[in-house]
Amino acid sequence: MNVRIFQFNGCNKCFNETILLKGESKYKVEFIQDPQNWKEEKTDVSVITGFLLPDNKEALNKIKKNSEKVIAYGNCATTGGVFALANQKGHKVSPLNKIIGDSININGCLGEIEELKLEIVDKDLPNLKNLCIVCGRRKTCDYLDDVKRQIDLDDTETCFNDLGYLCNGFVSRECKERCIDYNAPCRGCKPIIERSGIRMLGMFGTLMGNIEVATEHSEKGATDKLADKDDDVTENLPDIVGNFFRFTLPTSGLPKGRIPSNGNLLEDVFTGRLIEELPLISGLLGGDHSISLTLKIIETYEEANNIEVSEQTKKYRHDLLKLENELKKVIHSKDPDQYKKITEEIRKIAGNMNLSNVFFGGFRSQIDGNDNFEDYKTHVFDVVEGTYKNGSVEFTIDPIGIVKEIKIKEG
Amino acid sequence: MSECEYIKPEVLEKMENIVIFMCNECGQGSANTAGVARMAYNPAIRIVRVQCTGQVGPIQIMDALSNGADAVACVGCCLGACHFFNGNILSMHRIKLMKKLFKELGYSDQFVNQYTSRAAEGETAVGDFEDIVERLATAIREKRTFKDEC
Repeated sequence: MNVRIFQFNGCNKCFNETILLKGESKYKVEFIQDPQNWKEEKTDVSVITGFLLPDNKEALNKIKKNSEKVIAYGNCATTGGVFALANQKGHKVSPLNKIIGDSININGCLGEIEELKLEIVDKDLPNLKNLCIVCGRRKTCDYLDDVKRQIDLDDTETCFNDLGYLCNGFVSRECKERCIDYNAPCRGCKPIIERSGIRMLGMFGTLMGNIEVATEHSEKGATDKLADKDDDVTENLPDIVGNFFRFTLPTSGLPKGRIPSNGNLLEDVFTGRLIEELPLISGLLGGDHSISLTLKIIETYEEANNIEVSEQTKKYRHDLLKLENELKKVIHSKDPDQYKKITEEIRKIAGNMNLSNVFFGGFRSQIDGNDNFEDYKTHVFDVVEGTYKNGSVEFTIDPIGIVKEIKIKEG
Repeated sequence: MSECEYIKPEVLEKMENIVIFMCNECGQGSANTAGVARMAYNPAIRIVRVQCTGQVGPIQIMDALSNGADAVACVGCCLGACHFFNGNILSMHRIKLMKKLFKELGYSDQFVNQYTSRAAEGETAVGDFEDIVERLATAIREKRTFKDEC
């Protein structure tokens, strides 16, 4: 049996993960990084990774014609992924099944390699539970008094949503990456139901029941109605698209956005997001540069605002950068054992391949049992308006903390 | 019908379906009263009876909009007078978030809204209908409804 992995646009995190398939003896794996110029060959299983644009339609149809089975692996191919946030600015990122009609989906950012292995050999996937069922935190189901944007690490027992942090666990499946284990609320990359973002919006809107909503007297009806002006409800959630539709904008049933684009898809993904979301998003989409890009953004903001970081934090960050260089070498040599070893080391420090543990001012959870966590514990910081520049990254944020403009130079 | 006086016919023609979710208590009560008094309202309005506006969430609103509705509104009991507990307030929170979402995507926030009415007064319901028609006319004039998606 032959398996071909096709990498389309965007970060190559999922593509790199498929290096682990090389260890399997049942099939032969071939990696194709330039699917547009692929000469057609009969394939048993084709795996599509990366986000897809209408330009890729021809190449995808060619793949479909020559394959017994097409699997979309990772969120970018299944639901649009984090790159699809650019659809808010009129881009046309679409999931695989909207382009070629149907496909087998393996969700997740990063997609789980064990599920892919099962799917390739036609075995049933495990029936995964809802994340809240396996989460260790307890729910109280009280209405919220306010929505908090940054995690305060004092309470590690109560449900994130009940503490006021938006957690997408309600609408997600349990997964391997488990952001919740590193004091980061679930970001919803593995939806358990269709149109998960819209459903979560309804759920969280209900939870906000104690927060004052503005009403006004209606001239025509002579009774009260919902007012148009901004109120506590809208001020508490400055970026709804980025928080609720982080991975599922093209499949959410919402129309394509009409905000003017600045032309660059990657910069459009970041524009409009919140400052505390920046490291989370760059951790998702940087591919083999994700660690350096994330740390660059964090350090730029820390230096400009005099946020002090401890020696221990610096040491761990340095280790991460070193691991990233090693990872690049391994990706080149495509050695599954080495890849496994290095990603495990990255996971030990950064929590998962999405770098959930990395944040402004330190880390969100304890890395080594022997460390003193207080040394490198992250804390709540103030949002400061201004333009931040440091080498390859430049971004401007407004008083609420929304990114107005961002420039990222390649490499 | 007062809105015909200043909404141009070509704008009114574009309004085919306006879905109104009315609660079974005050909302539907006021519509009944309006019916008994033979008050007229825009023929595009389609009333859906629900037990409480607290039942209506973003999913129902998106279902209506993606299946051809031009505008969606909820009409519930007056503030503090929900016949259950606080369904009308909860619905207001969710609709407020929907409005913000549409604005973030570059569309008008005028074609969804929540109103209240009094069962004993039919004009409160008809007034609410006039208001949503007027708001939808604004969105159509600005070319910022879902049907204007480019």
